[in-house]
Amino acid sequence: MAGIIDVPKARINCSMLLQHINQAVCFVGRVSKVHPSGKTFTAVDGEGKTVTVELNCCLEEELSGVVEVIGLVSNKGVLMAATYNLLREDRGTPFDLELYNEALKVIHDFPQHYPFEAAVSG
Amino acid sequence: MSIPLTQGAIEALYKGLPIKNPLLQLLNIRQMTSNSGLPRFRLMMSDGQHALSSFLLTTQLNHLPEQKLLVQHCICMLKKVVTSTLADGRTAVTVMDMEVVQSPEETGGRIGNPTPYNKDGQMSSPAKKSSATLEPDSSSATAPGPSHRSTSFSRSNAAQSSPTNSPMKVSPMKDTISPMKVSPKKEANSPMKFSPAKDTNSPMKASSSSPMKVFPISTLNPYQSKWTIRARVTNKSNVRQWSNSRGEGKLFSFEVVDESGEIKITAFNNEVDKFFSLLEQGKVYYISKATLKVANKQYSTLKNDYEMTLHAHSSIVPCEDNQSIPTMNCNFVQIEELENRDKDAVIDVIGICKKAEDVSRITTRNSREVSKRALHLIDSSGKEVTATLWGEEAEKFDGSGQPVVAIKGARLSDFGGRSLSALFSSTIMVNPDIPEAFRLRAWYDREGYAVNSQSLTERKSTNSGSRMNWKTLSDVKNENMGHEEKAEYFSCLATVVYMRKENCLYQACPSADCNKKVLIQHNGLYRCEKCNREFSEFKYRFLLSANLADFGDNQWVTCFQETAEVLLGHSAQTLGQLRETDEAAFDEVFQKANFRTHIFKNRVKLETYNDESRVKVTVMEVLPVDHREYSRRLLSNIRRLAF
Repeated sequence: MAGIIDVPKARINCSMLLQHINQAVCFVGRVSKVHPSGKTFTAVDGEGKTVTVELNCCLEEELSGVVEVIGLVSNKGVLMAATYNLLREDRGTPFDLELYNEALKVIHDFPQHYPFEAAVSG
Repeated sequence: MSIPLTQGAIEALYKGLPIKNPLLQLLNIRQMTSNSGLPRFRLMMSDGQHALSSFLLTTQLNHLPEQKLLVQHCICMLKKVVTSTLADGRTAVTVMDMEVVQSPEETGGRIGNPTPYNKDGQMSSPAKKSSATLEPDSSSATAPGPSHRSTSFSRSNAAQSSPTNSPMKVSPMKDTISPMKVSPKKEANSPMKFSPAKDTNSPMKASSSSPMKVFPISTLNPYQSKWTIRARVTNKSNVRQWSNSRGEGKLFSFEVVDESGEIKITAFNNEVDKFFSLLEQGKVYYISKATLKVANKQYSTLKNDYEMTLHAHSSIVPCEDNQSIPTMNCNFVQIEELENRDKDAVIDVIGICKKAEDVSRITTRNSREVSKRALHLIDSSGKEVTATLWGEEAEKFDGSGQPVVAIKGARLSDFGGRSLSALFSSTIMVNPDIPEAFRLRAWYDREGYAVNSQSLTERKSTNSGSRMNWKTLSDVKNENMGHEEKAEYFSCLATVVYMRKENCLYQACPSADCNKKVLIQHNGLYRCEKCNREFSEFKYRFLLSANLADFGDNQWVTCFQETAEVLLGHSAQTLGQLRETDEAAFDEVFQKANFRTHIFKNRVKLETYNDESRVKVTVMEVLPVDHREYSRRLLSNIRRLAF
């Protein structure tokens, strides 16, 4: 888990999942359904697509709203979460998921202008 | 059976050869007005072979025609004649004594088929050589005369035989040339100057004998003084009075157009009285003798390097022949195109006035009261724009019936996005008689009235982002903003990186509305120079100097009361007290305000202080950053740049 935190992670949405198999990624989406077991849930990204997130430990709290998940993408396109972060809606400006998605597209369309990995390692 | 005429008499008389009592037939008799008031009769005599109209009857014999003794087709015996040559070379035969020997009835009509005696072809038609249309016919005085070129001319000469403007001047041949040559245009005053005795038969006071030729406006320049133009008045201003240190006076100006171009003409003082009522917009005039000088582009937007000033000798005469002169040089721009034009451009527009607001009165910065009225114009592009009329134009505008409104020479401004403003030199036309107007009317009646148009002039900025001029701090220097005389406004996102704590506050006059700095007197009172009063207290006001920065550059700015309070989060009074009492707390206010990011709306302007000019930026408003809006703007900028 420590390994994942220190490594630069690409921000992705559902359409980019398959390009990042076995890579550490950062996903932001809105929680849609939580599995009764509390070990997995589905989230929807800014484009409306869904991803399944698997947690290593059970959910202790009720999860809802926009969440930022850091984890590894499995071969099957499931996000194996290492940690997650709830973006509270009752505080500050509500998170605009569609706008975030637009920014995401720009970052991926122009990687030469957004050399995040170089910045982290360099 | 009529008496035979003396053949060859005409030629002899013309040449001044002696001939005894020739018998001639009167073909035509015409009365001319003379200066002295006495009628003067001109005769056309024929010897059966030739006819000559250069005969003048001595006034002593005026009773002959007056008593109807001398009438057309009668036969006369000339007992005494005097042949003389006029100054211009023409020959006149004055009949000093004659006798009517046979009446027209007995004669039975015109004898023979006399041709005008043409010595060098210039005799019988003493006139016009300018117009080629004049031919032998002209000699027959009966012909109402081809109106050479100017109907006004012929009109004025109705009484006088047209073609002839009798070069028949008996005595003082001061005459220079055939007035005919002098194109009537040259007129000037009373085109009705008949008396041939006086001067050139031209009803025109032809003071100069130069042939009148119309020059194209585009050829006018200050180095040439003998010109005449024929042009239509496209725009006439009202009379304006001025009063300054050098004196006072009145003026009015008007613009004229012809096939070659346009020019602005101004008349001052006396000329205003002379010409203001004569000139009518839309009519064509001959203009000559005015001063040409280099155009003052500040007051005129016409495409001409020169402009004209009328003086005491200027002449303006109405012209009837106006087919060739264009009515108006208008270059109408579609309303939707206005977005692409630069602000402050002067353009022509035409549109249907969908709605005209009521006239309102406002007070200008110079404390002058002026009327204004806003019109909403729409055209076939489906776009709408607001045009503002001022002064008298605003007051007398009638927008009922959704008329077609055309404005020539309106200024495009970026107020509210895009809007139009009428200038002093603009021409406003309501329902003008031009094809564009008809097209617009037809379009509007058919479909335009239902179009849900989008106005280029936003009245309320619902989305504040739409009106703001977004710049980055590096743009201010790169684009040389504020270097012109006029102030420029822009918005930017920036972070406060430094604020000057010292001298951020000053002591101001406590009177409401007065913010002038007060001076501390020896008696402990505070004196305000503006109010000219002393006070026992003062109020603190902000004058904060701060440095803003963004990714590209930094910029020193000045924040006054309201904006400084937003940045610091405290009122001037509070901070003033803190400064006096708790210095640590005072410093902390600045610490907390530092490195905060805001949206700044600024004004950048060239300011001069004691001979030194510097570009200064003043913060007009500080707004919190709306990150979503900012992000959206950045994203759209990126996408736009990507293509």
